[in-house]
Amino acid sequence: MNQEQATLRAEGVTKRYGDFTAVDDLSFEVKPGRIFGFLGPNGAGKTTTIRMIVGITFPDEGHISLFGEHITTETQGRIGYLPEERGLYKKMKVVDQLKYFAALKGVSGRESEKRIDFWLERMQLTEWKKKKTTDLSKGMQQKIQFIATVLHDPDLLILDEPFSGLDPVNVEFLIDVISEFRTGEKTIIFSTHLMETAERLCSDILLINKSQKVLFGSLREIKESYGQNLIAFRGEGAGAILEDRSTIERVVTHADEQELHLAEGVDAQDLLKRMITSGVVISKFEKTEPSLNDIFIDRVKGGENSHG
Amino acid sequence: MDRFLAVVVHEYKKVVLKWSFLVGTLLLPVLAGVFAFVPAIIFSLKGEPTRIALIDRSGTVAPRLKDNLSAEKRAERARTAAREAAVNITPSQEEQLKMASAQMVDSFIFTDIDPAGRSIEDMRSELTTRITADEFDAYLIIPPDVNDTAAVYEFRSRKGADFVTNDSLRDALNSAVRSQRLAEANISEERLASIGRAVKLDAKGLDDRGGEKDTTGLMIASFVIGLMIYITLAIYGQAIMGAVVEEKETRISEILFSSARPFTLLFGKLVGVGLAGLTQLSIWIVSAAALLAFLALQTDLSQLVGAVPSISPLMILYFLIFFLIGYFIYASIFALIGSVVTSLQEGGQFAFPPVMLLLAAFYFSIAVIRDPNSSLSFWVSIAPFFAPITMPIRILAETPPFWEIALSIGINVLAIAGLVWLASRVYRVGMLMYGKRATLPEIWKWIRYV
Repeated sequence: MNQEQATLRAEGVTKRYGDFTAVDDLSFEVKPGRIFGFLGPNGAGKTTTIRMIVGITFPDEGHISLFGEHITTETQGRIGYLPEERGLYKKMKVVDQLKYFAALKGVSGRESEKRIDFWLERMQLTEWKKKKTTDLSKGMQQKIQFIATVLHDPDLLILDEPFSGLDPVNVEFLIDVISEFRTGEKTIIFSTHLMETAERLCSDILLINKSQKVLFGSLREIKESYGQNLIAFRGEGAGAILEDRSTIERVVTHADEQELHLAEGVDAQDLLKRMITSGVVISKFEKTEPSLNDIFIDRVKGGENSHG
Repeated sequence: MDRFLAVVVHEYKKVVLKWSFLVGTLLLPVLAGVFAFVPAIIFSLKGEPTRIALIDRSGTVAPRLKDNLSAEKRAERARTAAREAAVNITPSQEEQLKMASAQMVDSFIFTDIDPAGRSIEDMRSELTTRITADEFDAYLIIPPDVNDTAAVYEFRSRKGADFVTNDSLRDALNSAVRSQRLAEANISEERLASIGRAVKLDAKGLDDRGGEKDTTGLMIASFVIGLMIYITLAIYGQAIMGAVVEEKETRISEILFSSARPFTLLFGKLVGVGLAGLTQLSIWIVSAAALLAFLALQTDLSQLVGAVPSISPLMILYFLIFFLIGYFIYASIFALIGSVVTSLQEGGQFAFPPVMLLLAAFYFSIAVIRDPNSSLSFWVSIAPFFAPITMPIRILAETPPFWEIALSIGINVLAIAGLVWLASRVYRVGMLMYGKRATLPEIWKWIRYV
C-alpha cells in the first residue's frame, strides 16, 4: 500500500437526522499502519461517523474515501467492524455463526474453517467451538465477536468500545492481540472512552464533542502542545508559593501529589530554586505531560474544571 | 451475489435445522395418519359381549330383536354403511362411530327371563341383584303393547356410558318394534321402505365445456387448500418476523449491515425462509400422496376417487405461484413489523393487521367457492393480499380465463415489489434503532430517508 495515501479520508462530512445534526463538517485523515483513537463523550457523534465509514449510512454532505476509493460493498469487504452494540445468534453454535459472518465477507469453505480454527485457538476458545452462545460467558462472547471482526483479514479494523464488559485480564489479552494485528501494516480505528487505554495504544487521535471536531493530530504533538507547564509535586511547606497565582495558575490535588499548572512564562527551574531557598521539603518535583484524560476533560468540559 | 447466497443458505438452515421444523414437518402427517386410522382401529377391537337379561312382556319383539342383532344382519348393515361413507370424503365423527359400532359383531348375549306372574317391581329388584352379582351386564324390559307410543322400554346397564352398545341396541330395538307394528297393521316392510325413500337430488356443477363435476368434493378440497395456504402464510410470516426481531434484539444487524446491503439481507432472508416453507410443503404433499396411495391399497376407493376434483399439473403450478406470491406479500409485511418493534412479544401484538388480512382472504374464499364467477369473486381474486388465497380456490372451483389469472399475478407481483421496497426502507433504519418502538410518523420519515 502506498504510504502517502491515507487509509481513510473524511472531508466536510455532515449527517443530519431531521433537525438534529449528528456530525457537523468533520474532516480528518487516518494514515495506514497506525492505531487511530476516535474519542469523544457519549452522544458526540462517534457511532454516526463510524456507521458512515463502514457504509451503513451515508453523509448528507461531504465525502468519505477508503483506500482512495468511494465506499462500496468492495470497501466494506476490507473493513472489520466491531460495533459497540453487538451480539450473536443465541441458539446457534459458535462455529456456525463465525462461518456465516465470514461468508458475508466473502470467505467460505476450507479457508473459512482454517481461519476459524486459528482464531479460536488464538483466543483460547477452541473447546467452545460447538457450543451455543447461551453457554458462553459475556467475556467469551466478546472474544467471539472480535473473531468475527477479523476473520476476513481486513486492512482496516474499526473497534467501537472493544473492551466494554471485559475483565482486566481479558482487556490485556485483547490489547496484545490488537497490537499483533497492527504489525501487519493494518490500520486500526479505535473508539473508546477509556483514556488510559487510548493513551497506551493510539498514535493519532481525533476528539469530537457535540458533533464537531475538537482535537486532531498525533498524540505526541497534542501532548506537547499541552504539556509545557505542568509539574507533578509532592512536598511540605510550600503553602505560600502554591497560593501565588502569578507563578502557579492552579493546583489540582490528587491522592498523594499535586499537579501544578504554571502561569504563562514561568520557568520550572526558577520555581524549583524558589522552593529550595524557601525551605520546602521536596519529595517529588517532576515535569510531566497532561494525561489524555486531562486533555479530554479540559476540551470537553472547557473551563468547568474545579480548581485545586 | 455471494453475500445474497450466504444469507439465503444461512436463513434456510436456520429454519430447517431447528427441532420445531422437524417436529412440525413430521408431526403433521403422523397426526393426520393417527386421526385417519386410530378410531377405526379402536372401534374394531371387539368389546366383551354384553350379557342382557331380556323380559319380553309383549312376547313378539324379542325374536325380531335377536334377529336384528344377529351376525349376518349386522355384517350386512356394516357393508351398507361403509358404501355410504365412501362417497363422503370426510365422514363426520358420528358416522365413523356408527360404522365402527356396526362392525362389532356378536357382542350381545340374551337370556330370556320369564316373569311367571311375578310383579314387575319384583323382577326389577331380582335382576338388579343378579347384575350386581355379575351374572348379567344389563336388563331390558319390553312393555306389553308395542303400539303404545308412550310405553317405556327399560334398559339398565352397568356399562351405562357405553354409547356404542346403547346405540346398537337402540337401533336394533327400534327396528324390531317398528317391524312388529307394521306386521300388526298388515303393511309389508318392503312397501314401507319404498314409500319412505328419500328423493335423490343429483347435484353436480357444469364446467365450461358442459362436462359434469361433483360439487361436494370440490367444496371440501377448496376449503382444505384455502386453509392450508392460510396456515402456512401465517406461520412463515411470523417466522420471518421472529428472525428479524432476533437480529435486532441481539444487535447482530449492525455487523450484518457493515457486510452487506440491507436489501440483500432482507431479500435473502425472505428467499431463505421461503425455500424452507416450500421444503415443508413438498414433504407434506409427498406424504399426503403416500397416505392416499396406502389408503387406496387398503380399501376399494373407486367411489372416493370419483369424488376428488381433478387437479391438473397446471393447477399445481398456479397454486405454487400464488403460494409464493402470498408468501412474499405477507413475509415482507411481517419483516416490516419486525424491524419496527423491540421484542417478539411486541411484534406479536402488532401482527394482527396482516393476520386479519389473511383471515379476511380466507372468508372471501368461501364466497368464491359459492359463486366463482361473481364480480366479488373477480375482484377479490385479483386484489393484493386476498388473491394468494382466493385465486387458487377460484382456479379449482371454476378456472377463470387466462387473462384474469395473468392480471392477478401481475398486480400482485407489483404489490410485492412495492412492499419489499417499503420493508427494506424501514428495515435499514429500524434495525439500528434500539430501545423504543417507532411511531408511524417516524416510520414515514425512515421511508423517505435517502
